[in-house]
Amino acid sequence: MRNLNIFLYEWKHFVRSPFKIVAVLLFIIASIYGLHNGADLYEKQNAEIERITREAEIKKETISSYFENNEKGPENRPWIDVTTPFWAIWNTPTYHFKTPSPAIVYNIGQTEQYGFYKAINTSSSPYDSDMTNEIANPERIQSGTLDFSFVILYLLPLMLLTLLYNIKGQEVEQGMLSLVFVQTGSKNSWILSRTTFYAIILIIILFCLILYGATLTKVFNLDIVFWKVFQWITIYLIFWLVIYFLIIKYGKNTVSNTLQMIGIWLLLAFIIPATIQQYISINKPTNLMVDIIDVSRDKKGEINAQPIEMIDKQLFKLYPNLNATKVAKDTVIVSRVRGYSTDALINEEMKNATKNIEEDNNIKNEIISKTYWFNPITYFQNKLNQLTNTHYNDYEEYRNAIQKSVDKRNEIMVLDIWNDVKVDKSKYLEYNTIFSKNE
Amino acid sequence: MNNMIQIIKNEWRFLIRSHIFLGISIAFFLILLLSVFLGNFQTNKQEQTYQNAKDHVRQQWVSIDEMNPHSAAHYGTYIFKPSNLMSSLDEGVSSITGNVIRVEGHVQNEIVHSEASQMQTVSRFGKLKPSLLLQYIVPLLLVFLAFNSVSNEKLSGRLKLLVLQGSKPIQIMLSKTMSVWLYGVMLLTFVLLVYGILNMHSLTTDILIRTGFFFLSYCLYYFIICGLTVFFSSRWHNPTLALTSMLGVWIIWTMFMPNILMSSAEKWHSLPSRNEFQLAMKEDRSKGLDGHNPRDKRSIALKEKVLKEYGVDSLSQLPINFDGMRMQADEDYGNSVWDKHFGTNREILQKQKQSYQLGGIVNPFISLQNTSMGFMANDNLHHQEFLLQVENYRRDFIKMLNDKQTFGGSKTGDWGWKIDNAFFKSVPDFNYKPTQVFEVISYYMLDVIVLFLWSILVIALIVFGTKKIQIV
Repeated sequence: MRNLNIFLYEWKHFVRSPFKIVAVLLFIIASIYGLHNGADLYEKQNAEIERITREAEIKKETISSYFENNEKGPENRPWIDVTTPFWAIWNTPTYHFKTPSPAIVYNIGQTEQYGFYKAINTSSSPYDSDMTNEIANPERIQSGTLDFSFVILYLLPLMLLTLLYNIKGQEVEQGMLSLVFVQTGSKNSWILSRTTFYAIILIIILFCLILYGATLTKVFNLDIVFWKVFQWITIYLIFWLVIYFLIIKYGKNTVSNTLQMIGIWLLLAFIIPATIQQYISINKPTNLMVDIIDVSRDKKGEINAQPIEMIDKQLFKLYPNLNATKVAKDTVIVSRVRGYSTDALINEEMKNATKNIEEDNNIKNEIISKTYWFNPITYFQNKLNQLTNTHYNDYEEYRNAIQKSVDKRNEIMVLDIWNDVKVDKSKYLEYNTIFSKNE
Repeated sequence: MNNMIQIIKNEWRFLIRSHIFLGISIAFFLILLLSVFLGNFQTNKQEQTYQNAKDHVRQQWVSIDEMNPHSAAHYGTYIFKPSNLMSSLDEGVSSITGNVIRVEGHVQNEIVHSEASQMQTVSRFGKLKPSLLLQYIVPLLLVFLAFNSVSNEKLSGRLKLLVLQGSKPIQIMLSKTMSVWLYGVMLLTFVLLVYGILNMHSLTTDILIRTGFFFLSYCLYYFIICGLTVFFSSRWHNPTLALTSMLGVWIIWTMFMPNILMSSAEKWHSLPSRNEFQLAMKEDRSKGLDGHNPRDKRSIALKEKVLKEYGVDSLSQLPINFDGMRMQADEDYGNSVWDKHFGTNREILQKQKQSYQLGGIVNPFISLQNTSMGFMANDNLHHQEFLLQVENYRRDFIKMLNDKQTFGGSKTGDWGWKIDNAFFKSVPDFNYKPTQVFEVISYYMLDVIVLFLWSILVIALIVFGTKKIQIV
């Protein structure tokens, strides 16, 4: 009953405080804007994927028509012969996509730092230039998109501050604190009840916003992501409620409480993450990918300049089945096909180079993860990134999948070349089916 | 004037006597010192990485024993984006943009491998650089120092006393503003002095001028913050209300509006997707000459023209290598296509920037951000200038190779012809020429003017507020 009275009193106080009402309204507007930004990105990426798929389909039809018309390729490029595995695979348009999760509506995470579609060929690498982010204004990316997670991680604590800053402080300044304690019995439960009132209001608002977000994309198609997002946002809210509760409990007046609240927020939102990022940049400066450059220039040249026996030895080691192929036994045609097969060896070298880079990046990620205990905002940000498939790891998986796709393409190409496979329309369509599986 | 100086002196005396203020000030000086040191150290370390990579790639190039010039054009080179000295103060977009760009024949590659893509998310507001503290934290400190400067005087009755002693209310208000503003200026000066001492040997006139404009922008912004806070403090009896109002302004200006305005500017003037951009380039390029295809119609036309010019009947009679000429014609056409499409993108980016700059009319923080990273040579404009220099270098580099192929003594179709190491050593390396401030200053004038206009508006508010102030 006492708690109910406190709630009713707080409700009156809340509706009579234009400052607090405006803060809540601004928060809701920012949230809706953020949710729409996420939904827009989801739509935009899906539309782009659809467009690229259509283009690939057109190219596939063009190549198919060569088979139907008994042609070997475009008229002005007579060196192309799509009946050979090399040129048929070269002309099999394959894209690997990082399909956006519907949960991106809540958090775009690191989406804008990477590409989401990749044209695959036998010499592709997950670090090719088309893996970089979409054409965008870097100043906009630097200032960050106002997505829902930004509103939650940075504006929610500030809104909570505007709702709680004068709890107890106002009564102290008006000299009514003793009277309040006499009437309510316990100082802690009085502060807790008032804080809980705002917590309940915020949880209701957040739930409605998350639900609204779910209507913009197909979030409910994902198992429990909706509830997971709600759960983590609630935990985040409680985290800040506990901090602010302690400040109010031990604070002396409104101004001092406000200063402490904003001070903690600045520390957690700005100073600590910025210091960690600076520390990482000093310890592990930006990788300029010299290893990849070395492979794409010198290693490539070295591989191609090797004696024939050495190339064969490396190819046979990579694909043991190659030894028994038709071409391997025929010394006349082997020299011609060897040139088409070295992409597979270069691909292996490239994998070694990218492995080092990924390891280097993972060391950075480990350093970041080790700071989570005193760097909670980064922790919650990355948690949301994981839930919405926009985390670094999701893009690492995407890169790994691309690498697998390149490996598969090389393997099929080398084996088919060495088996002297003749490509017809059905074989060409088979290539398209195999390579488009993206697994 | 004497009254004002006296009030400012008094304000400082009060501040210095406060242990809390002294504690906070020491903490701020230390963290600013740390940010400058770390910023400088990080920039130097990145510069070292850059130099090593640059030397490594150059070494590869000058070590080519012998190679066909066109094979060398495909072999190409790599250019790394250098970090500039002023990144220690404000790194702007540097961590978002790529760092490596491949320079080769036939194609203009994109800059890749940004720092942000090499790890999971850490800080939404960048590294601990002085700009982070000067833009976000110092203004808040100024708000905390100024929010009760007038309201406290009213509550304690000192305001009446000051007026009775001969001070005019406007003088009191301006003095209060100036006393807090000077504190902000002192912090700013401290940062720049430490930066200057650490980089004494590398300071150039351009850096000094840029730093001067940087200083001016922050001074104006701090004046706006201090003046507005003092205005609120004079308007409201309750100091808490003045504080919360200014906190609201700060949140809207720094957290809310920059994101919204920038996202909106990007929607109003949208850029093409990369795939669309590349397809359009490919489409336009397919209308030109294919350097690798002698059967191409335009190649044949060019061949006829050259044969006529030299007065011979066949390519074998030509004293030059026509392959190189055809490659260069392909390049020239490709360059015009790139100019058209990249030019369109640059125009769109320019429009986005202008729209965003106009946002400064409602939010001076935007103007501050623009001038801060702009004068520190780390905004998108400087990034685009770097990309243009790279493209110009690429054109010279490829032309040198194609000319060697054409006029170096080989014959058409002689793809086995090679040139020796001396030639590769003679090809100049890319040498980035930092954009001089006077070449780009006009782009930031709007931001500086907006900051001045805001300062005038704040003075007007103070004057207006003084008229309505209740002394008793």
